[in-house]
Amino acid sequence: MLNFDEIFVTRNYFGKPVRRNADTRFVKGEGSYVDDLKMDCVYSGFVRSPHPHARLGKIDTSKAEALPGVLAVMTGPEVAAVTQPVGARAITRPARQHVMATGKVRYVGEPVAIVVAEDRYTLEDALDLVEVDYEPLPVVVELDDAMKEGAPLVFEEAGTNILLHDTLTHGDIEGAFRQADLVVKEQFRVQRYSSTPLENWAIIAKHDKGTDSYVVWANDQQPGRSIVNISNALGIPVNKLRFIVPDSGGGFGIKLALWPYVVSQCLVSRKVDKPVKWIQTRREHLLTGTHTPDCIVDLELALKKDGKVLGLRMKDRQNDGSFVHTAGIYNLIKFANIVGCYDIKATQAEMMSIVTNKAPTVQNRGVGKPVMIFTLERLMHRAALQLGLDPAEIRLRNFVQPEQMPHTTPSGEIYESGNYPECLRKALAQVGYKEVKGQQEALRKQGTYVGIGLSASIEPGTSNLGYYYTSRGTPEYMGNAEGAIVSMDYDGNVNVLLGSVEEGQGHQTAVSQVVADMLAITPDRVTMNSQMDSLMSPFLGHSGCYANRFNDVDMGAVIMATKKVRDKVLKIAAHKLGVPAGELRLRDGAVCSAKDEGKSVSFKDIATLAYKQILLLPEGVEPGLKEVAYYKNEIAKLPNKENFNVQMTHGNSLHAVVVEVDVETGMIRFRKYVIVHDCGRQINPGIVDGMAIGSTVHGIGAVLLEEFIYDENGQILTTSFVDYMKPLAVGLPRFELSHVESPCPTSLLGTKAVGEGGAIGSLAAIANAVEDALAPFGVKVTSLPITPEKVLRAIRETKVI
Amino acid sequence: MHTIRLKINGKDYEDEVEPRLLLVHYLRDKAQLTGTHVGCDTGNCGACTIFLNGKPVKSCNMLAVQANGAELTTIEGLAQNGLHPVQEAFLDKFGLQCGYCTPGMVLSGLALLQSNPKPSEEEIREAIEGNICMCTGYQQIVDAIAHAAGLMGQSRSK
Repeated sequence: MLNFDEIFVTRNYFGKPVRRNADTRFVKGEGSYVDDLKMDCVYSGFVRSPHPHARLGKIDTSKAEALPGVLAVMTGPEVAAVTQPVGARAITRPARQHVMATGKVRYVGEPVAIVVAEDRYTLEDALDLVEVDYEPLPVVVELDDAMKEGAPLVFEEAGTNILLHDTLTHGDIEGAFRQADLVVKEQFRVQRYSSTPLENWAIIAKHDKGTDSYVVWANDQQPGRSIVNISNALGIPVNKLRFIVPDSGGGFGIKLALWPYVVSQCLVSRKVDKPVKWIQTRREHLLTGTHTPDCIVDLELALKKDGKVLGLRMKDRQNDGSFVHTAGIYNLIKFANIVGCYDIKATQAEMMSIVTNKAPTVQNRGVGKPVMIFTLERLMHRAALQLGLDPAEIRLRNFVQPEQMPHTTPSGEIYESGNYPECLRKALAQVGYKEVKGQQEALRKQGTYVGIGLSASIEPGTSNLGYYYTSRGTPEYMGNAEGAIVSMDYDGNVNVLLGSVEEGQGHQTAVSQVVADMLAITPDRVTMNSQMDSLMSPFLGHSGCYANRFNDVDMGAVIMATKKVRDKVLKIAAHKLGVPAGELRLRDGAVCSAKDEGKSVSFKDIATLAYKQILLLPEGVEPGLKEVAYYKNEIAKLPNKENFNVQMTHGNSLHAVVVEVDVETGMIRFRKYVIVHDCGRQINPGIVDGMAIGSTVHGIGAVLLEEFIYDENGQILTTSFVDYMKPLAVGLPRFELSHVESPCPTSLLGTKAVGEGGAIGSLAAIANAVEDALAPFGVKVTSLPITPEKVLRAIRETKVI
Repeated sequence: MHTIRLKINGKDYEDEVEPRLLLVHYLRDKAQLTGTHVGCDTGNCGACTIFLNGKPVKSCNMLAVQANGAELTTIEGLAQNGLHPVQEAFLDKFGLQCGYCTPGMVLSGLALLQSNPKPSEEEIREAIEGNICMCTGYQQIVDAIAHAAGLMGQSRSK
């Protein structure tokens, strides 16, 4: 953390709920999402497999091609013949996959042909005219079946459906279980779900004949990496691909996996010599993913009588569907967060990434942490009851204490800051913990089943991208960093270009607040690019919007570049005013002498010297006022299985939830929802509140409503928002949100992860509350989602949700 | 092909359209009014909400030919100069993140306030039940609509 006096000249905007005026275009309907770009595009769409697993036979495109208005058709095998396969990141078994199906299809909805037509409607007609021969193969859908001897293989060359199988042990795990007074264990099953951004995937690709190069507009979340992936797949140098990310209607990780579709768009745009647009439909989005993997997690806690957890064992089997690029990533993130907020000395994680004939998976909000914290916090609740302790007390006894910070977990994660006990105490007071507990019995006698649940969750940020090294060779990417260009223009206003993108988090406003306070101007004098453009933006392979990294490396790059501009402004002003730089100060868009405020020169006049009257610049000072800076988080360790940090900042939150379960209908109603959240210093509390609440609602969707359901034949049954239910405004509680501020010592502003937390902590809090409410019936919650149907069945028959 | 004549945001339009053309595609592709968004195709998400003869409708659930002769208001036509109080309120209360649901939310919020100038929180939540927001968890949107009720009340009493 830098001294604030080194960063800020004023403190007028940092930490305040500054209005998102930069986003006024959104309330006026003037956003510029990919489908809004006014270009003379033709439309593309995909013929998708109706089979979950089949040999791909003849693809007859003649009828489609004969339809007036159809411009081109390319089949999966034709695309595969001219592209390189998709690269794997975490898996260790060989598995070859292309951006479209070739040889066989592996999931319902896999693209087998791409069609281009003059308009959306002709396109739909043409898609129906492509005839494909399939020879159905035996299907493998669920985890239990995929692991069986002789199971149908999704990738024959792997020789198994388990593409990653590793066990990582840290600390004396055998000793921990030997010394335990009590071992608590459970098998949990968590379903497939997704945060489903409201804007589906969208791509425009334009091939330029003269230079044989491409321009792509896509709502991609990690353009720094996608550019590499797309160029590799197309077999072109990166300088033949210009990549632009305009406004994006939400991401949540789901837009990290659209790049394979860019590859086929580029190919057809080359073929038809026109800009080609692909707008994914909601059905396609839900059908083909991307999803979170469903998983079966066995967790075991070794405890002493006093509630102290000595060790923890996990066996994680994860259904990664059929996308080699991301398979295994969730396993590794779960492992990295295995101890949650607790000081546990020994851990063992056996992890398996398993492929099936389900849709591809990708990093959805929280990536693995929602499941890790769900299972850990469920068992902490159970362990407390078995030991006769209060669920709050067992947590207090195991928390990493604030005075232990920085605390290194057994696998090498460094918790740099946090005050977990304070968050819990605050939440207990806010939720009225004792009062609710005291009322439960009387309410039950009246037939009202109320339960209270707690969940303490870690909310890490800024991934050290080499983490998948823990399963395979030297990673292509390591650490995390971002680039920024900051310039002062002719008018003395400031423009910022970031390498990363935004998915709705108000980055432009946050950046303008920080830059304004660094230069003593108002935020409306700071503009930031609303689109990433690889031709102009200072990007790195890490550049993108993921892993809660904006507040850390993005802001770090902006601050370092702004400092460079400020230093240069001061140097020019010192020369102009004849006052030493150390005696100058910034005030209201000007530089003045600290001793004589009448001696002043405006930013605009300084810019005139820098850009126009360059002969009047001090000796050795280059013309111009544009500076670039790249900023990396310094605490990233080199990849090493024994000692490695997967994330570099650690926010946390405490969720305390009171629910009422209607035992006649199985419906769950919220009576109170308290969130105590610690993301260190906040740049803009209005934005932070929205992130904390919004992410919690993602979790509520996962706990109560959302599930991608497949039948035993591998057909997905949930392909619209009628079947795949999202949380609506009705039925949600009014969240009571408060904050604890433990500044992060390793980010420049003391800020840390914000944006995923609620999606992580809410699952266990609600499940714990439901199990508490149903305690009189002896019902245990071991799976999600907790639907009314499952609640009723558990109360009446099975005793298990 | 059918000829349709309609008024959008006070401007007259006349076009030849296929009978199957969805109204939302007419608005976006023909009229070039891209503030009306498509989020789901099934009428669930409300990103395509517009006013048709003064009432909110989901333009992905209507054909363009059904709007023949109608007067439409889209998000672009809400404020002639500057921002409508509901738009101001969404900015004041952080009632948006990615902005994709925002046009539909603003219009559904306005539709409520036109019939119920002082809605309760529950009434606001019910009024936007046909609009899905994936980002905010709705709370700041609910607060924005409540705040808009206040702003509109002030401007009426002026």
